[in-house]
Amino acid sequence: MAAEPTTRELRELVAEYEFERGHLLPALIEIQERYGYVSPAAIEVLARQMRTTPALVYGAVSFYADFRTEPPPEREIAWCSGPACRLRGGDRIREALQHTLGLPLDSQSEDGAYGLRLGQCNGTCSEAPQVWVDGEVVGDLTVAGAVAIARDVKGDA
Amino acid sequence: MNDLFTAIAAEAREGWEASRASGREQVNVCLDTSSLARGGAETLAALQEAVAAKGLNVDIQTTGSWGFCWLEPTVSVRSAAGTRTVLYHSVTPDRVEEFVQATLVEAGEFPELALGVVEGAPSDAIGALEDHPFMQGQIRRLMANCGQIDPENIDHYLANGGYEGFVKSLDMEPEAIIELMLESGLGGRGGAGFPAGRKWDFLRNATAEPRYLVCNADEGDPGAWVNRILMEGDPHLIIEGMLIAAMATNAIEGYIYIRHEYPLAIERMNVAVEQARERGLLGEDVLGSGKTFDLVVFVGAGSYVCGEETGLINSIDGYRGMPRIRPPFPAQAGLWNLPTNVNNVETYANAPLVLRHGAEWWSGVSDDEAKGTKMFTISGAVNQPGCVEIPFGLSVRDLLEKYGGGTPGGVPLKGYQPGGPLSGVLSAEEAELPLTLAPFRDRGLFLGSGGIVFFDESTSVVDLCTYFLGFAEDESCGRCTTCFQGTQRAVEILRRIGNGGGRDSDLDKFEDLIQTMTWSNCLHGSFAMTTVKLALRYFRDEFETLIREKRDPTRSLPGMITYEITSPGDPALAEAAAICPTEAIVDAGSRFEIVDELCIRCGACAEVAPSAVTVRDRFV
Repeated sequence: MAAEPTTRELRELVAEYEFERGHLLPALIEIQERYGYVSPAAIEVLARQMRTTPALVYGAVSFYADFRTEPPPEREIAWCSGPACRLRGGDRIREALQHTLGLPLDSQSEDGAYGLRLGQCNGTCSEAPQVWVDGEVVGDLTVAGAVAIARDVKGDA
Repeated sequence: MNDLFTAIAAEAREGWEASRASGREQVNVCLDTSSLARGGAETLAALQEAVAAKGLNVDIQTTGSWGFCWLEPTVSVRSAAGTRTVLYHSVTPDRVEEFVQATLVEAGEFPELALGVVEGAPSDAIGALEDHPFMQGQIRRLMANCGQIDPENIDHYLANGGYEGFVKSLDMEPEAIIELMLESGLGGRGGAGFPAGRKWDFLRNATAEPRYLVCNADEGDPGAWVNRILMEGDPHLIIEGMLIAAMATNAIEGYIYIRHEYPLAIERMNVAVEQARERGLLGEDVLGSGKTFDLVVFVGAGSYVCGEETGLINSIDGYRGMPRIRPPFPAQAGLWNLPTNVNNVETYANAPLVLRHGAEWWSGVSDDEAKGTKMFTISGAVNQPGCVEIPFGLSVRDLLEKYGGGTPGGVPLKGYQPGGPLSGVLSAEEAELPLTLAPFRDRGLFLGSGGIVFFDESTSVVDLCTYFLGFAEDESCGRCTTCFQGTQRAVEILRRIGNGGGRDSDLDKFEDLIQTMTWSNCLHGSFAMTTVKLALRYFRDEFETLIREKRDPTRSLPGMITYEITSPGDPALAEAAAICPTEAIVDAGSRFEIVDELCIRCGACAEVAPSAVTVRDRFV
């Protein structure tokens, strides 16, 4: 992940995108892939490129769950919110994760060291209940196992 | 027949036959998202390494899924002579060494992990794959290539009859294609079952140009992954289906809208589109026909209502994915307010089969009123979470027992959700229903897109309702007060009931909400209360026990239980105290105690000290 993007970099990155061709989401995805998040400066630049208002761009950013408005944490647990996980104790795992990390879902520690995110089911239900730790599936999880993972991610294992 | 195509297909077939007659063993490793979650990539790497280390002359390639998701990674080995292929399961990295030794070095077999013989004669040690209990009764048409071909190689698709249906459609009038689709009886696979031919005809009859096609691959129903299996296993089938639809409707461009949770499907669809373009199957002057059709793989960014067709259209257009008010319908005003047809992945994927084999063959697969085969994924309280393709009409119970392997630990089935969070829940007594559209429609819900979630008697129905309404609340687009406030209100009441604060009047409040929310603009709001509506029909006594007796019969709702230490001297309690995330277990000198105010009912202590910690009713 790069540092805070400059306006010039952002302008270059989105120079080929056109609102009329359905490019708002692809442009936002590209910005996030490059920088890890969509900064206020990026919203301004993209609005200008798309010949629309920052409000419309921000409206999309806030509507879609995947967009972040701050740099992602160094380490992250994504908790699977799917039904197969729920039926196997997924919600108790969520409680334990939140309390161990001291964070609600979709938030991160102030220093950006670790975060907790709500993940959507992608059909690996044979692993239920599962979480993704830094993007990797950890399945057949117990609550105790989740607490251990959260302590490790938090750095006080 | 189109000359350009004849040449492309002949070349592909030649390459395919040559690779199969290479005299080398062929190892196919299933790499789909489920396999990756179970170490499939590591298995592939270990296989490559072992083969290289032993200097074996073996072809290794990757395929999509066979549907044995709970037994991944699956690997098939085809003998050097090409006479025999055996499919194996659970080939985890730690088993690769002995697997390679048995199947490749000694050129024998590995019965311990064998699922069955795919090609060649079954033996005493390994039966035919089609006789495997999970495969019996399945009819693999959409999934015919899944597990068998490399999804990133268009030649594999072409060599197995690929794009032949499209080439037929090139010589047909749009009316004739639509007539054929209507004759087949293909209904939309997204849940509504609306005849695909009629939908295409709306677009054909549209007055404005240009026209667009959209493939809805935003498979947002949690617990459903049939579209993922197809996109990861046989992406060209979907492209071919969209090409046929384009010929029937004169559309010039198509969008495949895939949710961002499916990175591998996105990658494989992109590769497939690129390869189809290289072969002249997409772009300007497709196969020299003078017709133009191209595809864009469009990636979503996390929104369930984008699975609603007009929400999806708004999303591509560059707005928040809020469903539109209809009419106008997409066939008149869709993408950029131009005529557009939206179908589900599986709907498009059926079109090539209808064109290749004819309507009679396609619909003759069963006598059921709903025609063709349907893919289902099975998850929740089952022993075998996986994906099957069967004709409509099998009973839900048979799906669970035959393919899902029954419920774990023999806990009796309590009910099931037939297709997504808006489709509601049914009780076990309704498990005799056939998996087809009508019986579900008669009960005020819909069969949905194919994700069936089973739950057993350890599950609280109030917890299920809280979960599904919470999902609907989270994913409401915010347009209709009935929906975004209605779901919020329903969740508040459900949570209060689940925390022991239920009131007699709550059930009437639910009835109010059920009625009010049907006036929402789109299906999201109007069907959000289906779970509660049906839960009150099938499980009313459970609500009443919770409200009146303040007792949860399943002893699973966190708000209705307490944890108590019943053997304070148990040595495992020290570990329980250590794992407790809220330090609610304290060492009071000679004994451990639970401080109830600190306890969050996560149950970690009961996992590590099962014989010392007991769950009790909180209010009884």
